[in-house]
Amino acid sequence: MYQYTDFDRHFVHARAAQFRDQLQRHLAGQLSEDDFRPLRLQNGWYVQRHAPMLRIAVPYGELSSRQLRQLAVIARRFDRGFGHFTTRQNLQFNWIPLHQSADVMDLLAEVDMHGIQTSGNCVRNITTDALAGIAPDEAVDPRPYCEILRQWSTLHPEFAFLPRKFKIAVIGAREDRAAIGWHDIGLQLLKNDAGEAGFKVLVGGGMGRTPVIGTVVSEFVPWHEILVFTEAILRVYNRYGRRDNMYKARIKILVKAEGERFVQAVHTEFRAILERDAGGREHLIPQAELDRVAHHFTVPAGVVAHAAQADDTHTTAQSLPVAYQRWLERNVHGHRLQGHRAVTLSLKRAGQPPGDATADQMDAAAALADRFSHGELRVTHDQNLLLPWVRSDELRSLWEEARHAGFATPNIGLLTDMISCPGGDLCGLANARSIPIAAAINERFDDLDLLYDIGDIDLHISGCINSCGHHHSGHIGILGVDKDGAEWYQITVAGSDGSTLSGQAAPGKVIGPSFAADEVPDVIEALIDTYRAQRQSGEHFIDTARRIGAPAFRAAADAVRRATAHAEAA
Amino acid sequence: MHFIDATVDRWQPLVEGEPPRDHALLSLEQWNARRDHWPRNVPTGISLPNTADVEELATEVARWSLIVLHFPKWTDGRAYSQARLLRARLRFGGEVRASGDVLVDMLPLLQRSGFDAAQLRADQDRANAQRALHFFERGHYQGDVLQSRPLFARSI
Repeated sequence: MYQYTDFDRHFVHARAAQFRDQLQRHLAGQLSEDDFRPLRLQNGWYVQRHAPMLRIAVPYGELSSRQLRQLAVIARRFDRGFGHFTTRQNLQFNWIPLHQSADVMDLLAEVDMHGIQTSGNCVRNITTDALAGIAPDEAVDPRPYCEILRQWSTLHPEFAFLPRKFKIAVIGAREDRAAIGWHDIGLQLLKNDAGEAGFKVLVGGGMGRTPVIGTVVSEFVPWHEILVFTEAILRVYNRYGRRDNMYKARIKILVKAEGERFVQAVHTEFRAILERDAGGREHLIPQAELDRVAHHFTVPAGVVAHAAQADDTHTTAQSLPVAYQRWLERNVHGHRLQGHRAVTLSLKRAGQPPGDATADQMDAAAALADRFSHGELRVTHDQNLLLPWVRSDELRSLWEEARHAGFATPNIGLLTDMISCPGGDLCGLANARSIPIAAAINERFDDLDLLYDIGDIDLHISGCINSCGHHHSGHIGILGVDKDGAEWYQITVAGSDGSTLSGQAAPGKVIGPSFAADEVPDVIEALIDTYRAQRQSGEHFIDTARRIGAPAFRAAADAVRRATAHAEAA
Repeated sequence: MHFIDATVDRWQPLVEGEPPRDHALLSLEQWNARRDHWPRNVPTGISLPNTADVEELATEVARWSLIVLHFPKWTDGRAYSQARLLRARLRFGGEVRASGDVLVDMLPLLQRSGFDAAQLRADQDRANAQRALHFFERGHYQGDVLQSRPLFARSI
């Protein structure tokens, strides 16, 4: 994984010092709350329901065991002992007092971490495939490009105050494991007929009130031009994106309103930078720079392809424990290196909110990473941790230790592997709570045999329309809404994140008026029962949902409806 | 970075009906109305709203000594792109000044986008502004108007 250079290290310390200066002026009354807010946001500090929330960047989801241990230290010393991994591969704390924030930034800088641009109307942490660099279906490893883009977008002076937040996701495999169609910019690395790497560029995807799938702005931008092309997109957006209405300020609205004119404007700007601007060609990436950065992402020392002596993933022996077989089936993934596997440590288990990890669990995951994965972990888009360098002949030992540490729930891709935001328990923006809904569904579907019978399904829960829990892209989506001061939940079906399983990215369809919180588990059960009754051979939930359409699910959900919000019934 | 004290600023707005003079600061509307008869030998400043397309002014910028760009709110970042285009694309060599809701914490961004003067909001402290310019002594990753080469082009 990427190793900080002397420059990088100096840079995050400088940023921490700059933040401390701003914080001190704020606490001394020289910097008003209104003026301080955008500054702290761009360092990851939100003020939430109970205390500030700190969002820490995990660049493209890569985390070392050393960093994870430091996060555990921060969780214990400054928070209430836990953190929350997000869909954008970041980590959030919820209980750190603002006056201690600069101290936390110093601790993060010690392990080459920070909260730069994890919030605010700027380019956010760049996300990618959790299997980047190890996926068997990968055309080009996206991580060097992610790092080059990270550096370019960090404290870019022109694009720090865009109309709205700006999220970039990059993939390099055939399978989309990063939902690129749902991002402000989605980049897919591929090779052209000449074998040269480049990017298919999508712009203007996004969730929120107006779910939109990104538009293809270029089928192929040569890799060395990607910073300039991104600059062109951001400049067009910075100049012409709407600023009069926060709900219409994302780039998706500009792309929708302008259509082909937007595409032309980007290409015109791109050419103008290269042909007319002083220094306009300086951001063409030299081969030497790509090579320098790519060198950080080589296979860890000691990892070599080998034919495993005892590779349990190829064993059909009845002698293996059922729980282990299930874990092999759900939590263990193919690897491009023979004799290796990627293993998901499930953060979806009964009694804990999806994506949460206690300080002890962070330490335990760090220990597993040290023992089985060369000290490296990934944060996945669906809020789990992943060990990228596991020898297949060590799977059994890993399973036993992961089980002991509570990470071996064999549910990856199943109903209980749900995505959820922290919701109204912690978040100041939320209209409704997510955690109790996730817990109730977990309780209702506690039978593993049933979960396996249901099979692959994406259940996504957001506590408000900001869509941090990606409800739009869930095969089943749950959205918290506030009606007359009470919590209600709107349910959608047949959304897609753009993966092969889910089909072309699309927002789900609403199945009628919202439901009361205590109805939600019944509704989910009704939807699942409908699928199980109607499915044809080999169909996943999403296939059946798409074939029979939302009305069939609506009827089933209505049959268990007991309460309906007055505002909607009227 | 040059900090502007409005009380002793030689650039003063042109009053309607006033004849051309040195260091007159014109709005874009005033300029559009009078540019055909405006003398070429007097130092002229222009004040642009942040919605102005500076590329459309490409043929005129050579006639100006000062361009004032505006921040109606400090979090409205359009003027950064205007400044960058004026410098890098139109090669404007005069003064580019930030006005409006200008906070000390904007100074690094202003400087790197091509501004060389700032009129701070009345409640802002100049010493803080000076300090704000010196946190990143080793420079930044990406190139900018002051240093067009990104880190990778400086260190390779």
